[in-house]
Amino acid sequence: MKPNREIQPPLTIPSEIRVPLAEKVNSEHGIDLYQICIEDHNVLRVSLVFNAGVKFQQHPFEASSTLNMLSEGTQKYSAEELAEIQDYYGLNYEASMDRDYSVISVCTLPKFLDKALELIEQMVIYPKFDQSDLDRYAAKRKQQIQIRRQKGAFRAQELFAEALFGKNHPYGCSYEAELYDKLNSEMLVEFHRRHYIAQECFAVCSGNVKPEHTTHILELLNKIPSHRCAAEHSVMPEIVQTKLLTESRPEALQSAIRMGRMLFTRNHSDFNGMQIVSTILGGYFGSRLISNLREERGYTYGIFSTMVNLAHNGYLAISTEVAAEATEDSLTQIRYEMSRLREELVSEQELTAVKNIMIGDIMRILDGPFGIADVTIENIQNGNDNSSVIKFFEEIKNITPERVRDLARKYLTEEDFITTIVGRIP
Amino acid sequence: MIEYKEHTLDNGLTLIVHRDKSTPLAAVNLIYRVGSKNESEHRTGFAHLFEHLMFSGSKHVPDFDVPIQMACGDNNAFTNADYTDYYMTLPTSNLETALWLESDRMQWLNINSHSLEVQRRVVIEEFNQRYLNQPYGDLWLLIRPMAYKRHPYRWSTIGMTPDHIANATLDEVSDFYDRFYSPENAILSIVADCDEQLVLDKVNKWFGDISRGKTAVTDIQQEPQQIEARRMTVTRDVPVSVVTIVYHMASRTSRKFHISDVISDLLSNGNSSRLYTRLVQQQRLCTSVNAYITGDQDPGLFVVTGHVAQGHTAEEVEVALLQQLEELKNTPVSDYELQKVKNKFETGATFGDINIMNKAMNLGFYSMLGDTDLINREVSIYKSVMQDEIMQTAREMFSSENSSTLLYLTENETK
Repeated sequence: MKPNREIQPPLTIPSEIRVPLAEKVNSEHGIDLYQICIEDHNVLRVSLVFNAGVKFQQHPFEASSTLNMLSEGTQKYSAEELAEIQDYYGLNYEASMDRDYSVISVCTLPKFLDKALELIEQMVIYPKFDQSDLDRYAAKRKQQIQIRRQKGAFRAQELFAEALFGKNHPYGCSYEAELYDKLNSEMLVEFHRRHYIAQECFAVCSGNVKPEHTTHILELLNKIPSHRCAAEHSVMPEIVQTKLLTESRPEALQSAIRMGRMLFTRNHSDFNGMQIVSTILGGYFGSRLISNLREERGYTYGIFSTMVNLAHNGYLAISTEVAAEATEDSLTQIRYEMSRLREELVSEQELTAVKNIMIGDIMRILDGPFGIADVTIENIQNGNDNSSVIKFFEEIKNITPERVRDLARKYLTEEDFITTIVGRIP
Repeated sequence: MIEYKEHTLDNGLTLIVHRDKSTPLAAVNLIYRVGSKNESEHRTGFAHLFEHLMFSGSKHVPDFDVPIQMACGDNNAFTNADYTDYYMTLPTSNLETALWLESDRMQWLNINSHSLEVQRRVVIEEFNQRYLNQPYGDLWLLIRPMAYKRHPYRWSTIGMTPDHIANATLDEVSDFYDRFYSPENAILSIVADCDEQLVLDKVNKWFGDISRGKTAVTDIQQEPQQIEARRMTVTRDVPVSVVTIVYHMASRTSRKFHISDVISDLLSNGNSSRLYTRLVQQQRLCTSVNAYITGDQDPGLFVVTGHVAQGHTAEEVEVALLQQLEELKNTPVSDYELQKVKNKFETGATFGDINIMNKAMNLGFYSMLGDTDLINREVSIYKSVMQDEIMQTAREMFSSENSSTLLYLTENETK
């Protein structure tokens, strides 16, 4: 049979999206456990989320050091022994942190769940925070951050946070690497005591979850200490913005650019809409910014636009690294692409492509037990359940070119944008 | 166990299909057996530049990206020394769009000077971003020509220099397309919840009328055995010094490859591994360490590397790394330690199978090696590795005559 190459084969766009809702189980101390059973793959992932992000710290690097030092020795096991257990049973341990939360996850084969839970128990409840281990950790991290800061993109990201929130704001601050030397184990003990407790925690388990697994996970959660006086959630300080922050690197072959503006958190009624606007602008290969700066002009290998959601604020960020001599024109082109979104209606074809790619992205994220766990965690952090994915899906399907333009007029306003450049400053 | 069906079309295209009932998505992977090792030494970086040009549209599909996006799909590609890989995921109901696009650019790619000019610049920016304007970015640009004198692995996939990319001509691009982008030089692997025969019929429909090309086998110069130690010292504006030692090792399909992989895991897979516990935690000579194999099809490299901790020198780290390799030659690893590494291969394979794109890529890769079934045997090969084989391979591999050492020093250390 000869195919007809002249037209695209018929398409089917999913008319609905299926998202498993997490089943909530309560532990004795009030830690909520959310379970998502997906039987297709014989694996389990257990995640514990704590209100223990960078914004809570009173000393530089305290929050991340507390989290990372959990695996550097506990009352029962040395760092080497913890590592042995992880490696021998093939437990995939990950600790991550942002400005608001810390997340501890272990992926395991179901037959080794008990080992995984013992590991979490030791690390979360009985960390040692030995001073000499901390010294070694601090020396290592100091070196890492020095290497990272040499990278224009990393430095531009730090400056962008500072320009957006102010250098004394928990979402905007960054610190000299030398301040790692000032960390001591008492600080970590205290941070741990205040934040790694039942009141500040929820848990998510996904994969081939059986009732006996739930029982064992609950046993662990019941051991996590519960304090009456939970960590106080301090009021966020005032935001102090700077329009332009630069760091000159005359020898650099490329300039790292960050451009963006303060917006709102995920629960704002325009967040989903702006996520679509941001995707049109720079959220996929073929976006306005990629077409212009990469495919038309060859200024850059990549340019992206994203909506970032934090507990108290949200913002839009455009990021790229461009040929140094193209720095100035790149800024002009980014502004031009924003103005086009304000002034012209996006074509039905382009909007359909964006809608479909976003629908595909949702399907890809939800494919498999690990992705669903991540989506569930984010929804809980925002006070939502997984039905918010369906709401987002519906909004994508129904958005019109007029609404895109109206949102662009409302929010892609040049006077509200902030720019940081590391490299050749025009 | 991944069950699959393999089939060769009349025009030489290899097809591998695996049915996965757990997902509404299809993964489509297309490998062309061409990488930087097929390049001329005067036009390095060409295979990768060509990968960029494959997104410039084709006769019946002027814009490559829009139809995929319309189909809720996502796609990308990468090039390495051995092959070029184009991959895509999209809802299974839209599988034919993937076949339409891939078949069209296999036969009717739109090669034109505008897209060549733009992609030359994009690739040069990629060169700048990833290799030049980046601390340690040029490390492999230095190591490869030291370790390889004849084999084309002596240059990186990005190329020896941006000049080679800047000088690429339209004629050379067309010639490259004719030589390498034809069905008999390609492997298509598809993972989806779809009947295998149905997939074969669809593939036949879209690829069946593509004519065979004129794929010429590139005569690849094999690397002669190295007979004396090589070393190089450079000084750069970086925060800390890095020591890297590389050794020639066995090719991808030999048993010694798997033994070497086990050795690299003993040394540095996980925080309980030898290099980390000894050099980072106990001796505190390094802030990070790594041992890995490059995984190339032809004989590749076994790499050990360490970031020098403050207060120590690159020479101390070099000695310490060599000491660890020496121990592997002379002292058998314990049953426990070997078992630990083997367990990791098993769980790693289980976790890896969750991702359908990963499975499709692996099926294509093993087929390219000429042994698709290796995908199901590999874990048991790792499990069969014995203590004395490890010592034997370590003795053969870790000799100073077989080594190339790069001391990449911070300006602070030399001052």
